[in-house]
Amino acid sequence: MNVIDVNHIAKSFGLTQAVKDVSFTIQRGEIFGLLGPNGAGKTTTIRLMLNIFKPDKGSVSILDGPMTEDKKSKIGYMPEERGLYQDISLESCLIYLATLKGIPEKEARTRLGKYLERFDLAEHKGKKVKELSKGMQQKAQIINSLLHQPEVLIIDEPFAGLDPLNVQMVKDLMNELREQGVTIIMSTHQMHLVEELCDRILLIDKGQDVLYGHLNEIQKSFYGHAVLVRTQEELPTIKGVREVRQHNNAVKLILNDSTTPQEILNVLTSKKIIIEKFEIAMPSLDEIFIRVVEGGKQNE
Amino acid sequence: MNKLWQVATFEYKRNVFKKSFIFTLLSVPLLIGLIIGIGLFVESSNVDTNMVGYVDDAEVINETGLSPELSAIWVSSYSDPVEFVAYATEDQAQDALKSKKIQAYYLLPEDYFASRRVFQRYIERPGENAERQFFDYLQLNLVNNQPQEIAVRVALGTKAVVRSLDGSRFIPESGPTFGLLMPLFINLAFLGLMLLSSGYTMTAVAEEKENRTMEILITTISPSELVGGKILGIVAISLTMLITWTGVVLTGVFIASRMGISWFGDLSMDWRIILATLAIAIPAYVLVTALMVAIGSVVSSEKEGQSISSIFIILHLVPLYISLLFLKQPHSILAIILSLMPFTGLMTIGMRNLFSIVPTWQVLVSMIVQILSAFGAISFAIWAFRYGMLQYGQRLKFGKLVRMKRRGSS
Repeated sequence: MNVIDVNHIAKSFGLTQAVKDVSFTIQRGEIFGLLGPNGAGKTTTIRLMLNIFKPDKGSVSILDGPMTEDKKSKIGYMPEERGLYQDISLESCLIYLATLKGIPEKEARTRLGKYLERFDLAEHKGKKVKELSKGMQQKAQIINSLLHQPEVLIIDEPFAGLDPLNVQMVKDLMNELREQGVTIIMSTHQMHLVEELCDRILLIDKGQDVLYGHLNEIQKSFYGHAVLVRTQEELPTIKGVREVRQHNNAVKLILNDSTTPQEILNVLTSKKIIIEKFEIAMPSLDEIFIRVVEGGKQNE
Repeated sequence: MNKLWQVATFEYKRNVFKKSFIFTLLSVPLLIGLIIGIGLFVESSNVDTNMVGYVDDAEVINETGLSPELSAIWVSSYSDPVEFVAYATEDQAQDALKSKKIQAYYLLPEDYFASRRVFQRYIERPGENAERQFFDYLQLNLVNNQPQEIAVRVALGTKAVVRSLDGSRFIPESGPTFGLLMPLFINLAFLGLMLLSSGYTMTAVAEEKENRTMEILITTISPSELVGGKILGIVAISLTMLITWTGVVLTGVFIASRMGISWFGDLSMDWRIILATLAIAIPAYVLVTALMVAIGSVVSSEKEGQSISSIFIILHLVPLYISLLFLKQPHSILAIILSLMPFTGLMTIGMRNLFSIVPTWQVLVSMIVQILSAFGAISFAIWAFRYGMLQYGQRLKFGKLVRMKRRGSS
């Protein structure tokens, strides 16, 4: 069942076309990754989904229809960086924003207490927001987006400024929310986290959707563009190899689009190189991202 | 609780319990008190009730004293009377001055009637009350031998009552009373509030835009609840200031009237004028606040916002600059137009009420214009907020915004 249905949206600001043509759907209970280089139009797409902006073209359906005031209490949103009142205490700020979402103050306090304990912020609840570290503010923002127990959670760079322990904490939380049926839309540049968490992704570049679908299917579609080779000998320069990287105790050869793994194997055997391991490598999302975005640049 | 009220309550509490607000709240009455205190101190330092001597070579001052009628006037005229002592020679007067028995002495030379010269001698300048009283005393002695009816008339002087050209306003000889000036004070208080809070209002909105709190808020409640709540909260903050200041002023006035300060003797006020003033001032204030919210929503920097907001403040000051025109012709076409316009109506009616009585229909029309303008400004602020709020770092000119609004474009 689709929770969000974005249909050919476009948005311009003056002469700048922030979003040209983007379409995707998001299903209930999935973690959806919204990816793209800086300035690709991710944040504008999020704002169009939330009806902060109205699209110049196309339409957005969220929770079975256009965005309404009633639906706001069913959606949690965390903008990239900041977003909280800086000059009041953490507790006052989060309670106020939760009550605006329609949560009774007493209930909001109970929920907040649990989250503050979980995120190691309980002892800082009396401090002004501006006195908290960047990581603490980031955690506070995540709490703010969750206090009203939304059905849909839209988070922009949720892991920014977090140390590995807190990254793990947020990952665990997101998995828990997915199990509870919460739909999560996450925009991030940290591809390894997308690989760990997301069911499906959308890659936007220059305001257009360029890659969209299940993560493993996308990875499979790029399968064959890299091989892992382990040998005791030094590898010669091979035509058709775009890049050579060390990968654990092997070498990863990134291939040009026109080169196949078989051709590489043929070259190696023809040069009488003793091969201990030859494996077609599953491309990482990082590699796919670079490949798609750079491919886009070359096509300009 | 209604979300609009929640926003208003939050804005109110968030600002009212700040140290800076409490400082501003108290600093204004303290500053006024300080200025009045310094004034009273300076005035009291000019009062010296020590004796004053005189040497009357011209034989002007009657040794047997003033007539009973003039004596009665003389005794009732001063709250800080000075005793005058006659010396036969200037040497005696000088000795008394050097020994500080007297604060000064006056010498009336033989040719006084021809020259009208009076010599004043002192070591330290005498009190202003002493100087004034001596010359009054001299004047009474000059008319002492005249028919008493004339002497009394001269002693009492003239009661000058200032009347407006259309005859609808009278200002007594003692000057405008506190009650007469009260509506103008209310206008000036609102003007002061505008000056104090407009910058704050605009900055507060611009800051929330800058730190993206607005982005969270706008995905939580409607723009009208948010902007309406903010305006309501800011107006409540300003009314808190106004009520506090009014309380302080009224306490001061009460104390002053009990102390017998003449200016506060007549506290009678025309409550209809005061209510009409408030009925115009409150929507005028809401109008400015809403516009400040709109400006804060669209500007890319605080500095840019200040330059735009100053235009609206200057418009409020226009009637002060041309107040002489209202004095000459309080019911001129210009005065009527300015009374009925938003921005200028508040001060124009305040000024005109000083010199005349503004017709009721003009007050009512001005009030309606202000209320409609205030609602229009709130609607514009909500619109500006909706379309200008999230243009981070982008310059959205206020004029362009107005044109967009006219076109109904998004």
